[in-house]
Amino acid sequence: MKATRIARAIAVAAVGALTVTGVSTLVVNPADAAVRSTVVVVSSNAMTSLNPGTPDTNLTINADIAYVTGMGFNYYNDQRNLVQNKVLGSYKIVKNTASDFRVAYTLNAGKVWSDGTPITGVDLLLSHVLSSGAYSKAAGLGDPSNTEVAPLFNSGGYGGPYDSHVVGLPTLSADKMTVTVRYDAFQPDWQIMGPGVAPVHALELMAAGKKTLQSVSANNTAKAKFLTDFKTKNSASLKKIANIWSNDYNIATISSSTNPLLLVSNGAYIVKSAVSGQSTTLVLNPKYNSGPKTSGLKTIVFKYIDDPTAAAQALKNGEINVFQGQADASSVAQLKAMSGVTVAGGTSACFEHVDLRQGAGPGTSDDYTGPFAASNNATKNAKARALRTAFLLAYPRQEILDKLVKPINSKAVLVNSSFLLPGQTGYNTIVAKSGVSKFTAGTQAARTAAALELVKNYYPSASASNQVVDIDMLWGSRANTRRAAEFELVVAAEAKAGFNVTDTMYGADGWGGELDNNDYDAAFFAWCPTAVSQTGSNANFQSDGSNNHIGFASDSVDNATHTLETKLSDAQITAQYLIVEKKLISDAVTLPIFQHPAVTGYTSALKGVKPAPLSPNLVWNFWQWHF
Amino acid sequence: MLFVILLGSSFLIYNLAAIASDPLEELRVSSDPKVKQQILVLIRDLQLNVPPPLRYFNWLKGVLGGFVGDFNLGLTRSHESVADAIGHAIPISIRLVLGATILAIVLGITVGIVTALRQYSKFDYAMTFLSFLFFSLPIFWVAVLLKEYLAIGFNDFLADPVLSWPWLLGLSVFAGVFWSSVLGGSRSQVFLKFGIAFSANALVLFLLSETHWFAQPALGPLVVFAMSLGVAFVVTHLSVGLSNRKVLYGSLSVSVLGFALYLPVQQLFTKQFSDLTLWGLFAASLLVGITAGYFSTKIDRGAAIRTTSLVALLTFGIIYVDRLMRTWKSYSETDAINYRPVPTVGEANSLLEPGNYWFTTLDSALHLFLPTVALTIISFAGYVRFSRGSLLEVLNQDYIRTARAKGLTERTVIMRHAFRNALIPLTTIIAADFAGVIGGAIITERVFGWVGMGTLFNKAIGGQDLNLLMGVFFVTSSLAVLANLVADLLYSALDPRIRIGK
Repeated sequence: MKATRIARAIAVAAVGALTVTGVSTLVVNPADAAVRSTVVVVSSNAMTSLNPGTPDTNLTINADIAYVTGMGFNYYNDQRNLVQNKVLGSYKIVKNTASDFRVAYTLNAGKVWSDGTPITGVDLLLSHVLSSGAYSKAAGLGDPSNTEVAPLFNSGGYGGPYDSHVVGLPTLSADKMTVTVRYDAFQPDWQIMGPGVAPVHALELMAAGKKTLQSVSANNTAKAKFLTDFKTKNSASLKKIANIWSNDYNIATISSSTNPLLLVSNGAYIVKSAVSGQSTTLVLNPKYNSGPKTSGLKTIVFKYIDDPTAAAQALKNGEINVFQGQADASSVAQLKAMSGVTVAGGTSACFEHVDLRQGAGPGTSDDYTGPFAASNNATKNAKARALRTAFLLAYPRQEILDKLVKPINSKAVLVNSSFLLPGQTGYNTIVAKSGVSKFTAGTQAARTAAALELVKNYYPSASASNQVVDIDMLWGSRANTRRAAEFELVVAAEAKAGFNVTDTMYGADGWGGELDNNDYDAAFFAWCPTAVSQTGSNANFQSDGSNNHIGFASDSVDNATHTLETKLSDAQITAQYLIVEKKLISDAVTLPIFQHPAVTGYTSALKGVKPAPLSPNLVWNFWQWHF
Repeated sequence: MLFVILLGSSFLIYNLAAIASDPLEELRVSSDPKVKQQILVLIRDLQLNVPPPLRYFNWLKGVLGGFVGDFNLGLTRSHESVADAIGHAIPISIRLVLGATILAIVLGITVGIVTALRQYSKFDYAMTFLSFLFFSLPIFWVAVLLKEYLAIGFNDFLADPVLSWPWLLGLSVFAGVFWSSVLGGSRSQVFLKFGIAFSANALVLFLLSETHWFAQPALGPLVVFAMSLGVAFVVTHLSVGLSNRKVLYGSLSVSVLGFALYLPVQQLFTKQFSDLTLWGLFAASLLVGITAGYFSTKIDRGAAIRTTSLVALLTFGIIYVDRLMRTWKSYSETDAINYRPVPTVGEANSLLEPGNYWFTTLDSALHLFLPTVALTIISFAGYVRFSRGSLLEVLNQDYIRTARAKGLTERTVIMRHAFRNALIPLTTIIAADFAGVIGGAIITERVFGWVGMGTLFNKAIGGQDLNLLMGVFFVTSSLAVLANLVADLLYSALDPRIRIGK
């Protein structure tokens, strides 16, 4: 009895003590936002690999993390301009003749990897191994064009213009700081074809079985070994490196037990940890000197949230700081209603366009014979062209923009050029001269009336209540609500010009596979260029272009696109674009409609966020972010 | 037979999925100059030039390889082993859904029993209404509401954790109505019970609010002791009846021992506390319970041991929860949490420094909080209706009348004769639900940002990843088949008339 009483007394005293200590620290002060040094960015995918260079790991999130952890010679800013990173080094054309085009890449002295190893020209050589099919074959690393077996360096770099035009091996200068790449002809996109730095010493060390960071001298020895392996095409060594490059970087879980050699990089941040399917944490790289100075953020976390509503609520709850959202009207309204959250509109890289079929696509043998078919018979050809013109005249571009895009991005404007987007240099010149005013002048009602007159020339019975021309239209799946709404608007608007638009055969999933098919008359979908390139639209309009699904063929356009593959001044480029654009307008081939809207919400306390349309979209200027 | 079902269904699914999807779709509208090479690589990697019915046998070869120790479900499109991906996802799915399923079963069956015993009472109607209401709510919408009020709203409230008067009174009225209708009785009794529940609740809430308890919750040894005593009474009442004084004293002594050990145990609750110690303490509690039960009585020792063991485990549980609650304040103050402890999304806060057992445990518990509430709300309704119907049916049986005629107490009739028999039909849905747990909760995982089986399935369909889809399908269909078997075995355990054999 006595013992219980004592115990009770002790207990009461303990409770009292607990309560008192509790009461004394009652006041709760939310931490001052200004002292925060961590940014949590939402990604719509989870990281699967530290190496976004293989076809299987080429995900946005992997590329974003690689961008933040590695600096190259240039990057795209939010104005779609390619900016040189002069801190790391510079590049310039050193020779330009008809059959010999050379670009020299020079690294600045004193730049280091996160393990302290100096960055030299040797680090630029791996790019050649990853991009040249000829090197892969010669070094016994497999033929990238083999349809049965993947090459040992399972790189996504093969098959591009670098692969088809590079001559010999890149040469290294005597001081090992300059690498010169030689091509067999001028490369219009030479700026974005160039090599990037890769920690070749880390690859060599891992190939030798090392599991820890080594001394700088050991690193330099490893780097020298890579140079020898590269020059002598040492198959045995390169195979080991290939295995590491293709497989070992594919890790979704990173912790202190991860081989630190995998994490060696030259970016402002290095990967510290990653939880599979959840998040990746990057911390400041103390040795960083390869790019612009950062504004003081210590940690950047990429957190995977697939569901946009969940991400928006997490933003409201302060769990995340930056979120590139789903661009639909209700999400934007939801974000705008949150306090402490800033919403930045803008556009993504994609732009919607409508294409009218001319002839058979590249992948088909039978002929297209629908109402829009171009023909050698002048009368038939004129009729088809008139119908196409009428179709484009009646196409409700402004209505689509106003009803479907403006609620999300109030600053959205119609796109009137198939080569350039609003705001890019030369866009205004092209729009003024290409003749696109034919499809923009006056009201939509007037254009529709003109369209109906054109149709009546061939089908006198046509009227707004009597649709005489059947048009089968191909577009995305009904799961895409914006496209579905777009299609409804098109059906209603074209009916007023005498067109009966259906999607009876298509409009289902898997529509992309039907693009080469000859059974449709018109299609609308989006192009999503991943880079700004003077030849970027060639594949769409060249008569043998891989993206010329509509069977458009014109000698003058082919000439212009071939000219675009040579070295031209800005004015010359615009002139060539104009040749193509004029033909596209006069033949009523295609019309762009709008740029896909993008929405970014971020904690208002975070400064410096400027979403960009091209990869790496949001994070392009991460070094400017600060609280 | 089971094997044939798995084989046939997997063949069908494989071919349907392969025909319906077009992995090259994106590349067809790509304007990348390397698109030809990209298409070649994809065809090479996914063997798209092999017709699906033949490709199926390639996949099957990997699965059958399991018999010779070379199990292979292939690679996902991001070159991860499908078996690994599923291996990662299963524990996450289990963590997400298991707690909610158990909670829904326990709550659902309890409420179902109470409604059956108070058939056609106001409580019965209210619960019927609520369970149908919950049953018809879409989970993504429930999730949005829960996040808005239980997470964002509650975190805002924590900045100044004082309940306003309307909230305090509203919650108290709710408590009063709830308890008076559960306990029932004559009109005057109902009013009395309402009054007691209302004022007790209002008083407690007022005190908690005034002491800013919500920002620094804790139970303290006295509340822990009171709760433990309550547990002892309730568990004893339900299992052997309070009239069995010996067992009651056994249970109460376990509570007293728990109270005495409260402070010493705190010494073990350090930062370096581990799951191993936790299991050790669980084992110790169990041992205490068994010992107390064994020595409390000489008659019907099995029931006594069951009772005291349960009391011991629950008492330890309360002490453990108390420790977690006292972690709340310092947890909230960390930079990672920044005074917003209730999260809306994810499995864990990646900014939290590892190394503190209590922080990480509280963190996972809080991340589980909303999904568990959401899933419980949704699935609880089914159990309520099933157990209510099942118990009502059993209560009308002749053997119940016989039991009552024998003079057995109402407790014995309900718990021993009716409840156990009412469980038999429930077994089927419980077994099926557990198989469903592994199958994943696709929408729940998506809205709460968990990467379990549901997410894999979703990703497999969205990303046209055939190997991943088949891997998920293979695991879930095998489990469904297995769950049926387990249900059959459980029948025999519950119902002595059913025997396994020829």
